[in-house]
Amino acid sequence: MARLAQGDREALTPLVERHYTRLYRIALGYLRQRDDALDVVQEAFVKAFQAAGRWDGSADAGPWLSRITVNLSIDRWRRNRRRGQTFSPLAEGDHLEVLAATGPAPDSGVLRREAGDRLSLALQELPERQRAVVVLRHYQELSLEEIASTLGMSLGTVKSSLHRALHRMRATLAGGAS
Amino acid sequence: MIFAHLRLRRRVGLLAAGLLAGREQDDVRTHLATCARCRAEHDAEAEALRPVVAALASDPLRSAEPPVPASVLAARVAREVAGAQLSVGRKRFWLVALPAAAALVATAIALPPVVKRFRPAPVAARVTIPPAEASALLEEDALARIERNLAREQAARYLNEAGEVLVSVAATGVDCDRKDDRLDVGEAPERSRELLEKRRLVVDEGGDAVASARGVLDDVELALRQVAELPSCVKRRDVELVQKDVEARQLLMRIRLMTRELEG
Repeated sequence: MARLAQGDREALTPLVERHYTRLYRIALGYLRQRDDALDVVQEAFVKAFQAAGRWDGSADAGPWLSRITVNLSIDRWRRNRRRGQTFSPLAEGDHLEVLAATGPAPDSGVLRREAGDRLSLALQELPERQRAVVVLRHYQELSLEEIASTLGMSLGTVKSSLHRALHRMRATLAGGAS
Repeated sequence: MIFAHLRLRRRVGLLAAGLLAGREQDDVRTHLATCARCRAEHDAEAEALRPVVAALASDPLRSAEPPVPASVLAARVAREVAGAQLSVGRKRFWLVALPAAAALVATAIALPPVVKRFRPAPVAARVTIPPAEASALLEEDALARIERNLAREQAARYLNEAGEVLVSVAATGVDCDRKDDRLDVGEAPERSRELLEKRRLVVDEGGDAVASARGVLDDVELALRQVAELPSCVKRRDVELVQKDVEARQLLMRIRLMTRELEG
């Protein structure tokens, strides 16, 4: 980060290699669209490079990058919503690609895809910040304190947001299943 | 006892959702051991939330791998950073050039009266056109012409680059995924996004100088927006939609003609 702050573009590669997959999963968990998630991560690294001079260097860059990624994911989500492109379930090919790794039977693949779509819908219906909390907790397995630090929220707000989010998702998932 | 019950009862839900730790968790657990009502609430809530937590835990996206290697992303980021620095450089040029031009014009207008004050009164017969005013008008006119030419050159370059991007999409025949009938459009989406960012500079700051190109610039913007939305490996039908749109608007021919006109 210190090298980035001095405008050294060579320093980008190790930073990208270290944080890329994690940030991609945050953006993908939030947006549920691969291309959008990749765009967001790319933009996050560009922003990190541009703002590296303002980074105080006293802490790990991970939470800072996560926060940029979450904020950009929220921006992208809003933009997609304005264009009416919110959160269509992943294309069939994308699901099959993901599921191929675990080698399920075809029927099981269909069931999983339906479950994935229901989960996407349940996440979609959460308010923006609640969804971010859920993604950081359940996709990144961050502690509540880490989530609070990443999103700049109090610990109490993180707990209540997560609690409300899970209840809301339960209602949506139950509605979809019935 | 009742107060403790009321205080801890609110936390039963948090415990059931796995959101308590340490002493808070111990306090509520101790309370549950003695309060059948709270224990029942806890069990019911934990049971209700279990499918949600299970659905999240089994989501395959949690372990999804990024579609392009880190080295490719790092290269893209470096390119974008370089592009942004260039664009900032251009903005800075205008930030300096425009006030400088304005200062020149202001000096040209303000200087003649000052000069006149310290100069002996000219002979009446020789004062047909005040030379300083004529020079100010000339300078103003020259500056306006320079600005106009710069704006038109910039618009021509923008259209030229946009044309290249649209040709690269329209002419692509490279399969990137035969099974899914997808074509590789390379960096066209990324370049479109960069061009769309430049568009504001070209149109807003070009003003009247690029007014005649407005129609083409608007159509180019629409086409670039379509391309900007594409992934680099795109379904053939999406490429064909862009191709049809470009053909229907005769965009490539209009870009060529307008570029020539702007370049004079």
